[in-house]
Amino acid sequence: MIPPGPNDSAIAEEIALLAQAGAGDRDAFRRVYARYSGPLFALAVRLVGDPGDAEELLQDAFVKIWRNAAAYDARKSRPFTWVVTILRRTCIDHLRKRRRAPVTTPMPDGAGAPPDVAGADAVRLAVDNDDEADRLRGALAEIPPGQRSALELALFSDLTHAEIARRLEQPPGTVKSWIRRGLLGLRATLNNSAP
Amino acid sequence: MKTPLEELACLYVLDQLEEQKRAEFEERLLRDPAAVALVREAEAGLARRIHELPPREPPVGLLGRIEQRLDQRTTGAPPAHARGIAPWAAIARWGLAAAIVVGLGAIAIQLWQRNRAATDRPVVIVVGLDQGRNALAELPLAGSPASADARFIQLASLAERYWDKPGDLPVKMNSPGAGGRGYALFDPGSNQGFIAVQQLPAVEPGQRYHLWILDAASGQVREAGVLPLAGSSRGLYFFSVAPAAGPKSGRLDFLVTVENAAEPDATRPRGRVVLGDRGI
Repeated sequence: MIPPGPNDSAIAEEIALLAQAGAGDRDAFRRVYARYSGPLFALAVRLVGDPGDAEELLQDAFVKIWRNAAAYDARKSRPFTWVVTILRRTCIDHLRKRRRAPVTTPMPDGAGAPPDVAGADAVRLAVDNDDEADRLRGALAEIPPGQRSALELALFSDLTHAEIARRLEQPPGTVKSWIRRGLLGLRATLNNSAP
Repeated sequence: MKTPLEELACLYVLDQLEEQKRAEFEERLLRDPAAVALVREAEAGLARRIHELPPREPPVGLLGRIEQRLDQRTTGAPPAHARGIAPWAAIARWGLAAAIVVGLGAIAIQLWQRNRAATDRPVVIVVGLDQGRNALAELPLAGSPASADARFIQLASLAERYWDKPGDLPVKMNSPGAGGRGYALFDPGSNQGFIAVQQLPAVEPGQRYHLWILDAASGQVREAGVLPLAGSSRGLYFFSVAPAAGPKSGRLDFLVTVENAAEPDATRPRGRVVLGDRGI
């Protein structure tokens, strides 16, 4: 079902802020930055590994957000999804240009497909794993390993779902199904565990 | 429910659809509330997962550097999008989005437009809604903004203000505990508005709240969307409607009804009125 309740007012405000930024309102843009820069920076670091690169890419993403805010269409996505898509595309372009090995994410309990990482990424992911393992063990533990692997690769790497299928040595249809069940299952699990 | 539509929604949210399929799915979102609902579910999962990442504060001064880049790009000219996008089109998209995204309810408002074109003297209609009656007020838009963007911003700001401080509403509301109630703001010039509802009764499985606007003079009914109140009895939503056909009348009525979700493309209210004037 559609998420109801108090968040709707926050989303309405975010839509309004993007509208104002799209009309050239710099103050509204600063409020957009204040809301999204933290989670987007965390996502950029996860995607590209190097915090310095992530900072540059976050800059690029916010310039794109400013320049495209008027084209945002609330019928198609929530504001947060829209800015995440802009950032992910920016980071993925960067990764592909640098021909780096795609970043993958280890599963918190070690189950599922092993992460395919090397060098600096391995260090970063090990650190992140320490930070996240406890936090996510409850949320992700109930999601079967295959679903977790597919979802995390879809979220935090530059792989297409077809490439994820090859990586996991599964039929594309299976991987698409895993991504779906993983994403919806994650939401259900987190909702159930929310205070 | 495990359908290909769920898969499409998830792949769409994760930006995993090829360009053509993405465009096709976005077209579907404009007309298929079920697809919108699934996208919202997937978006909730995406947002939660990202917010579970180890928190990281962006470097101090980063915003300043971004703004320097913006200034270099836009010196002497507004952002490209502000020049190139028709404001009315953007506003219409947000409003329609709200009508799809939002969803359900029944509100009835009555309003008098005093025989003038809204664009000549722009006003916001404020309507207090409870069970069986409406209370109306009109507020002039500050500065008589000509652009749709400016009107939308004022409308959104008012909606947000009343949501935070309902005591500021210029219309009287029922006291808490007296059943469903809410308020609506409507800009007749842009045919969009916001509606806040609370304490609505839970709908039975297979039912949903619909918002309607009726032209009392012509009898024309406009559907303003379905209110997505599942699991909650309150919320603040956008809505928008198609422009009224024919000459404008002096009076509009708003109401929220409970409708059967199995009936596709309902064009008129058939179900029980839960907010607004029951005599409409």
